[in-house]
Amino acid sequence: MSENNQLRDVFDAIADPTRRRLIRLLAESEEMPLHELTAHFQMGRTAVSKHLTILKEAGLVLDRKVGRETRFRLNASPLREIQDWVAFYSKFWSTNMLRLNRLLEEEDE
Amino acid sequence: MSSTLSLDFQYTASLEKIWSALTDSSKLAKWVMENDFKPVVGHRFQFRMQPTNGWNGIIDCEVLIVDAPNRLSYTWASLGQENTVTWTLQDLGDGKVNLHLEQSGITNDQALQGAKYGWTNMCGQLEKLLEQ
Repeated sequence: MSENNQLRDVFDAIADPTRRRLIRLLAESEEMPLHELTAHFQMGRTAVSKHLTILKEAGLVLDRKVGRETRFRLNASPLREIQDWVAFYSKFWSTNMLRLNRLLEEEDE
Repeated sequence: MSSTLSLDFQYTASLEKIWSALTDSSKLAKWVMENDFKPVVGHRFQFRMQPTNGWNGIIDCEVLIVDAPNRLSYTWASLGQENTVTWTLQDLGDGKVNLHLEQSGITNDQALQGAKYGWTNMCGQLEKLLEQ
């Protein structure tokens, strides 16, 4: 499904609630270091770091070094794939529902 | 965690008539796709449309529930995704019927777990994210 050069499927990346929460946190701030992100979870830095790696592999998170600290920020564009996918089915059925409506009207005639 | 596309549509028609549109193969072809559907639990059928680039145009299905004229459910497998489509009809009175569609990814295939989450009603939330 993915045509990007991502190491990981974006659907896979958002399949975990911790990672969805990380996305949310990063969406609400410009940039956050690991310790600030970790403060939001009942798990250690290593665990949060692993989740961030998965998000990075899907292209959802970018990081940069500032001194000794690594800061993370969101790159939301891969989420477009999910939106497109949901939108496709949503549109598919909406179109078909209009056709159903026409069919029901035709039968009345 | 919901993993379901959920949509509601209202029609001015009888339950029976909408049921017929959902379960009569020739009527179904007029608003969904060509098919060999039969309202028989366990019946395997296909929806077929013009193949497109990267898709053979075939959706493999199996009838799961036939509860006339209220509930119909079948699997919906294509492009490596295994979903379940469930139709629920509800008489609203005044000749109106609510048609509820649920398409859920209930597959137990780990590899499709990601796809399952695509069906969640996260659209609004994602849209907000994308606008940033």
